[in-house]
Amino acid sequence: MKKLLHLVFSLFLLSVCVLRPAFAEPPKISVGSKAFTESVVLGELICHLAREQGAKVEHRAELGGTQFLWQAMAAGKIDVYVDYTGTIREELLAEVIKSGVEIRSEADMREALAKMHVRMSDRLGFNNTYALGMRDATAEKLGIKTINDLRNHPDLKFAFSDEFMERKDGWRPLAEKYKLPQKKVRTMDHNLAYRGLEHDAIQLTDLYTTDAEIEFYKLRTLEDDQGYFPTYYAVMLMRDDLQEHAPEIVKSILRLENLIEPHEMVSMTAKVRLDREMESNVAAGFLNDKLQLDIPLKSTSKSAEWMRILGRLAKTTYEHLFLVLISLSLAIVVAVPLGIVSARNENIGNTVLGVVGVIQTLPSMALLVFMIPLFGLGALPAIAALFFYSLLPIVRNTYTGLTQIPIAIRESALVIGLDRAARLRLVELPLALPSILGGIKTSAVINVGTATIGALIGAGGYGSPILTGIRLSSISLILQGAIPAAVLAIVVQFGFGWIERRFVSPGLRTS
Amino acid sequence: MFALQGVSKSFGPVQVLKPTTVEFRTGESTVLIGPSGCGKSTLLRLLVGLVDADGGTIQFEGTPITKANIMQMRQRMGYVIQDGGLFPHLTARENVSLLASHLGWEKQRMDQRVEELADLTRLPRLALDRYPTQMSGGQRQRVGIMRALMLDPSVLLLDEPMGALDPLVRFDLQEDLRKIFRTLAKTAIMVTHDMGEAAFFGDRVMMFGEGEIVQEGRLEDLIQHPSNEYVSRFINAQRLPGVQS
Repeated sequence: MKKLLHLVFSLFLLSVCVLRPAFAEPPKISVGSKAFTESVVLGELICHLAREQGAKVEHRAELGGTQFLWQAMAAGKIDVYVDYTGTIREELLAEVIKSGVEIRSEADMREALAKMHVRMSDRLGFNNTYALGMRDATAEKLGIKTINDLRNHPDLKFAFSDEFMERKDGWRPLAEKYKLPQKKVRTMDHNLAYRGLEHDAIQLTDLYTTDAEIEFYKLRTLEDDQGYFPTYYAVMLMRDDLQEHAPEIVKSILRLENLIEPHEMVSMTAKVRLDREMESNVAAGFLNDKLQLDIPLKSTSKSAEWMRILGRLAKTTYEHLFLVLISLSLAIVVAVPLGIVSARNENIGNTVLGVVGVIQTLPSMALLVFMIPLFGLGALPAIAALFFYSLLPIVRNTYTGLTQIPIAIRESALVIGLDRAARLRLVELPLALPSILGGIKTSAVINVGTATIGALIGAGGYGSPILTGIRLSSISLILQGAIPAAVLAIVVQFGFGWIERRFVSPGLRTS
Repeated sequence: MFALQGVSKSFGPVQVLKPTTVEFRTGESTVLIGPSGCGKSTLLRLLVGLVDADGGTIQFEGTPITKANIMQMRQRMGYVIQDGGLFPHLTARENVSLLASHLGWEKQRMDQRVEELADLTRLPRLALDRYPTQMSGGQRQRVGIMRALMLDPSVLLLDEPMGALDPLVRFDLQEDLRKIFRTLAKTAIMVTHDMGEAAFFGDRVMMFGEGEIVQEGRLEDLIQHPSNEYVSRFINAQRLPGVQS
């Protein structure tokens, strides 16, 4: 009887264990943000409000641009992020507008987005539009108050963010509308541009009206006297299926609607950029004040900071190695046979070498964007892109290693009566091995460096502290990514030295 | 051993071997001699299938050589080229035993055979574990001969085997090689442009000129009764050390 009770009780426990997750599985939500501080802070605000409802939250922070986020949302890799009405009109709805749909109001926008299964919230409260900014002192000296005034100073040097250069409401149409004569215009990272202004390397850049640096660098935003810039009210975009999956979370994050005053946004950004506070703490502090919440802050003590640095190093090292090892291994598995086939058949060889050569010339950013629709966000598309980049050196060196074997040696292998497979395995590949290893080494070193851009699509690795460091103008953070990446490249070099000593026949060493 | 019937070969517009019918008999050693580009090496390369004939047939031990059976046949031929053609990534021992090992010989049997051949070719045992770059030219050539003999082939084909050696080393190796020939009583076909070597090795000498066999027979016959001006000029152009006739 006792035994039976035991059994029943055990079964009960077992069923509780097995079934529990089905009842209490917390909803998961993935929040995105772009690679500038305001966006990251807004992402953190959403994260906190979702977490408050018990959700498991993942913040895919600092993704490389609007297209990255939009593709990621379409692929279901992120559920919600903050974008701006101007961007939505010009970037996301460009095709819709081209097809003849009129988008006059935010209600029109909301309707058009709904057809694309995306829900747009009300304004969060502030307008973060583009503006042109100069140092106040320079502007004063030259007597420039409005964008119109720039016409009289054709020698000024301008630097704009990549996005502003390319946007349909960016530099080119602006120059046309205002008939601006300046020719010295180049592309520069937003954060570097501030430095440029400070040192007078450039005199004007594009700003966001909520940038903390306007105060800090004593900049003047030029008056848009012809009303060129559209409004950029911050709104949340979320997948429309989120309402079904997690209605209470949607309710919670919608508390951000009409919550953030312009000066509050500036102040939050300033705390992160200028006072070096953590985005998550700044966001938590704001919500605690505004909504009377009680979100715990992360410790900022020295030891906690060191723990975070070490933790970050461990995490980014793991992520980086993961990207490099997987992509490189796949590349070896594919590229060595391709090299062998190329060496055997001249026609195939020319085609293969041509194709992998062309892949190599694609800009890494472009390759990354191509990978997103296929593989989503995170490690997978980064691995795919790195894989393609790693092919050429290995294919080429395998090909070269095999074709450079002297004819006398190849004939010797033939006339002693070895079949094709045996010749390859016993003679040709061992002879080509130094060259093949050289190719793999080149790929590995390039790969270690290129993997840093994986951070742009949320793959992590040493690129993430570098990206954050550039955003926050923090040399320390940049070094936390750059130094380990350099060390890893050196380790790879030495590692291959060891592999060569271990696996290449002593008979092939030149010394 | 080998029977050629109307075998010819052209490279582009140049006919390097005119249609040739000839037989190489078992147990006989034949020397193919003539100036560079006369077709003698091409004939040897046709026999091992390194080049394909344009026309005619080649029989090896009574069977016509085809693409399908050449691989099997090669294992019954030993082929030696200038400087040995050794695989640089393998030691002498590994070079010699590569095919045997691929065919699944046991290690003990291989080692025994390698050492037997080292004694035969007078290669120091110590050199067996050296790589080609660590050996002298003479040693490399001895290893090349060992490799050709490893599977006890029924014929030995040698393409200018002494070509890359300096005179002293060459002399030693010639002596040894002749001893090897005598010991094994193998069919051998050797290409050379050196009359001395021809005299040394050849039971039978075939003089080549411009893609065809100009005269064949014992060397003494060639010297005493050259069939034409070409043969006597070729013979007189070379000093003949060590020819006893």
